[in-house]
Amino acid sequence: MTSLQMDIEQRHGDFVLRAAFETPLTGVTAVFGPSGSGKSQLLCTLAGLRQLQSGRIALGGRVLDDVAARVHVPPHLRGIGLVFQHTRLFPHLSVEKNLLYAQRRADQFKPLMTLDQATRDFDIAELLRRPVRNLSGGERGRVALARAILSAPQLLLLDEPFAALDGPRRTSFLVKLRHIHEKFGLPLVVVTHQIDDVAALADHVVGLRSGKVIAHGALASTATLSPFQSLLDQHDVGAVAPAHAFRGATSVCASHWIRADHVLLATQQPVGLSARNIWEATVIDIKQEQNSLLVSIDAPFGRLFSRVTQDAAADLALNPGQRVWAIIKAHAA
Amino acid sequence: MLSADEWNVLATSFGVALRAVIWALPIATLAAYALSRQSFPGKSLLDGLVHLPLVLPPVLIGFLLLLLLGRRGIIGAWLEQNFGVHLAFTAEGASLATAVMTFPLMVRAIRLAFEATDPALFEEAAVLRAGPFDRFLSVAMPLAGPGFLAGAVTAFAAGLGEFGAVITFASNVPGETQTLPLAIYAALQLPGGEAQALRLAGFSFTLAVAGLIVAETLQAWSRRRLQQ
Repeated sequence: MTSLQMDIEQRHGDFVLRAAFETPLTGVTAVFGPSGSGKSQLLCTLAGLRQLQSGRIALGGRVLDDVAARVHVPPHLRGIGLVFQHTRLFPHLSVEKNLLYAQRRADQFKPLMTLDQATRDFDIAELLRRPVRNLSGGERGRVALARAILSAPQLLLLDEPFAALDGPRRTSFLVKLRHIHEKFGLPLVVVTHQIDDVAALADHVVGLRSGKVIAHGALASTATLSPFQSLLDQHDVGAVAPAHAFRGATSVCASHWIRADHVLLATQQPVGLSARNIWEATVIDIKQEQNSLLVSIDAPFGRLFSRVTQDAAADLALNPGQRVWAIIKAHAA
Repeated sequence: MLSADEWNVLATSFGVALRAVIWALPIATLAAYALSRQSFPGKSLLDGLVHLPLVLPPVLIGFLLLLLLGRRGIIGAWLEQNFGVHLAFTAEGASLATAVMTFPLMVRAIRLAFEATDPALFEEAAVLRAGPFDRFLSVAMPLAGPGFLAGAVTAFAAGLGEFGAVITFASNVPGETQTLPLAIYAALQLPGGEAQALRLAGFSFTLAVAGLIVAETLQAWSRRRLQQ
């Protein structure tokens, strides 16, 4: 079975990380949760940087940690790459030497790319001779990612890799990650607290809160479950929709997070509307929130949520089973 | 200008201090590295042992060395029997006594450099497949490099002035074990030797200050280097 299995209990002061889940290695897994939920600790434990106190970790049938059987594979023998949020480039080496550091230590493993490919793919040819202290945040991130790839890992862990990026740079980085995953069949585990990153990148998701895994599984089915939704801020509540479902949006990501606040409902087929994305859907459930109602609907591609006011719900006379039209502005995707 | 005797004293001092640094450096580096890493069983014991020469009277260190390494000492007798080596009352012995006395200074300087290195970089090296010894050579040593040199220079400068342990273990043999402080002491024993003692004291002072300046410069370089 090519999966990652974790069943661990790790105490750090008052904080206890209890994680039991299994995720396939044939995709990108996002570890999602609010800050302080233990996401980074989970990655460090997986990489072998923290001595496991109790439990077991296995990667594709290879046991990396088993406290009961006294197995602990040290980090340098795990073949697991890790790119940290605050990129840790070696300050005494140039950019090129940082890359060579990784490449030389991986020469007995099947390389994922050559140094030339990596410098081209990550657009760092110009930086090679520079000392790392002169790099910008975005440049550091690219170098760190290239270095991790050059160490030819079997599994790559990324801890909030987008922290230093925003807007179009963030999107292009997400696309690059997805591309790396598909091109090399390299399984990724990505830690993030941004639900849009999860939708754009992940096939599987592990939801963490206060050190506990509260939901895990395939993204499309797990994301709509209420334990997972409870991890979200109120304005982030929504559902994942595949990019191909959209018209008019020139999207580069595989799927998008559609927030309930961005979905309008109509009881009759709308006409003369500028929105390009209108789907016929069925009301499944209506949930009372503090000042509004959260309506779950079944659209052709899956579950969506729409947030409507009490008055609007009363005017539309919304009921489960009712036929509605869901309207999404493309730029919301 | 310096007289032939004065040159002799300076040469002996440099020779003894230099050899002391060479003796102590590898062991001090390992001890400093061990002490800079997270706790391990016996860490406080090692820490205490390293600092012992700082709190014990130097003459006691010299005496202990005599007991252990003197011709009738436990190790000394064995060394002489098997290798024909004897350390007491020789220049080698003087460097050994100096090495023991300057050991804590050296460990402290090197340890500071190791401790100033971001531990995250060791984790990074580990996930890039570098094993523990590889991490020591490829990350710890280069980053601690200048601090490491500073430790060596400080120990060298201090070694030029080592007195109590040297005179006890290696005696005061001109041309062999008579270093600067021992020559100053010898000059003071002679009637009318104050002028000579003062000249030698001048050299000693100048060398010590020069050593400190070099060590400080290296420390500053080290700090700049470790700042990302």
